[in-house]
Amino acid sequence: MNSAFTFKVNTRGVLLNLNPEVKFEILKEELKNHVNGASTFFAGVDLYLNIDGCCFQADQVREIMDIISGYQDVNNIYFTSKGSSSKNENRYKRDTVLIKGTLRSGQKIKYPTNIVILGDVNPGAEVIAGGDVIILGKLRGVVHAGARGMVEAQVIAFKLQPTQVRIAGYISRSPEEGISSEKLFKPERAYVKDSAIVVEELSI
Amino acid sequence: MAGKVIVITSGKGGVGKTTVTANLGTALAMDDNRVCLIDADIGLRNLDVVIGLENRIVYDIVDVVEKNCRLEQALIRDKRHNNLFLLPAAQTRDKTAVTPYQMKELTNTLREDMDYIIIDCPAGIEQGFKNAIAGADQAIIVTTPEVSAVRDADRIIGLLEAEGLKDPDVIINRIRMDMVEKGNMMDIDDMIEILAINLLGVVPEDEYIVVSTNKGEPIVLQDKTKAGQALKNIARRIQGEELPLMSLERDTLVKKIKRIVGLA
Repeated sequence: MNSAFTFKVNTRGVLLNLNPEVKFEILKEELKNHVNGASTFFAGVDLYLNIDGCCFQADQVREIMDIISGYQDVNNIYFTSKGSSSKNENRYKRDTVLIKGTLRSGQKIKYPTNIVILGDVNPGAEVIAGGDVIILGKLRGVVHAGARGMVEAQVIAFKLQPTQVRIAGYISRSPEEGISSEKLFKPERAYVKDSAIVVEELSI
Repeated sequence: MAGKVIVITSGKGGVGKTTVTANLGTALAMDDNRVCLIDADIGLRNLDVVIGLENRIVYDIVDVVEKNCRLEQALIRDKRHNNLFLLPAAQTRDKTAVTPYQMKELTNTLREDMDYIIIDCPAGIEQGFKNAIAGADQAIIVTTPEVSAVRDADRIIGLLEAEGLKDPDVIINRIRMDMVEKGNMMDIDDMIEILAINLLGVVPEDEYIVVSTNKGEPIVLQDKTKAGQALKNIARRIQGEELPLMSLERDTLVKKIKRIVGLA
């Protein structure tokens, strides 16, 4: 890959990959040329500048911004360092992180993958997952499954009494009075159905 | 002699760390141990008042770590037990006056001469907490039957584990069995279910604690108070004895009769 930058269209907009192996001066020139030749190229779209692997000085970032602003009618400009290609997202969907032990108040875990916890999630603890969250224990803290927008994500726990459960963009909390003191484990599953989070007993 | 260093902590303030420290120290000393209490709450010292040694302070912990005096000069011998000592906190400084490394050195020196070193940890999770736990072998968490105190205790357990202090014990303080029975207070099982650590003892709420604290006389010196008895039992458990939890339920006439006829 010798060109100073490449384009890639994805669901969110256009990804502009800057080549970290190309000298800054050359990159600048080629960007300028492109802006001069096709200033309306990105009209109406979100532009993601992928600076993964690049190392810029503050001044250089400013110069790039000056050049980029030559594109007319761009919706928003973002900086990103993740190769947000669909290939990577698939990889995350498949992966699962295993947490051994109880999460206590103030502890927070965050992974773009599925998360399985061998232990409880206590009040004040927080779990954020890109995919599903499965808790082999009691859930009393806050869980966010499908945090990157995966509506099909689900939360499963042996005892589902979360302070709050979030799935993708939906949010729900346990009923105020329903803090039952049942000691029995009753595995339950929370998922999104008809634009709301529903909880049902887990049938195995 | 290799003494044991125990830190008394809670996260939340006002749950009774200082009272527990003073009483456990006194109870351990009554059982013929050499005990040193360290007040790690620099800037807000209280332990000296609760144990009644306030007017004997000349040097404090900051003087020791800054080498203004020798350690033996700062140790105050208790007026009732000559094997109980107090290393008071400084009142004019703040938590940054001591570092975790200095605390470790200090506890290691004391270890040679004492059976038990009990550290009264300040509330919070900042520098004072880090100092207090630095030299400890074991942690005892004090909590009360309140959701907020249990939440903080849970956070503290997590932080202690991160610092390598595994398997702390918990003391549930200020429980009121009459309220628990009516369902108006968290019961012991609920709390242990969340915290999932060893229960070292349960201390009932006792109005005599207020009197004892103000007078500077630990409640374990009084016979016949349930709180004092509970704290003495905890001290015995610390020494390795296996004691069942004492019954805190009030003896009503019905219960007495039931017991006599063998129903309970």
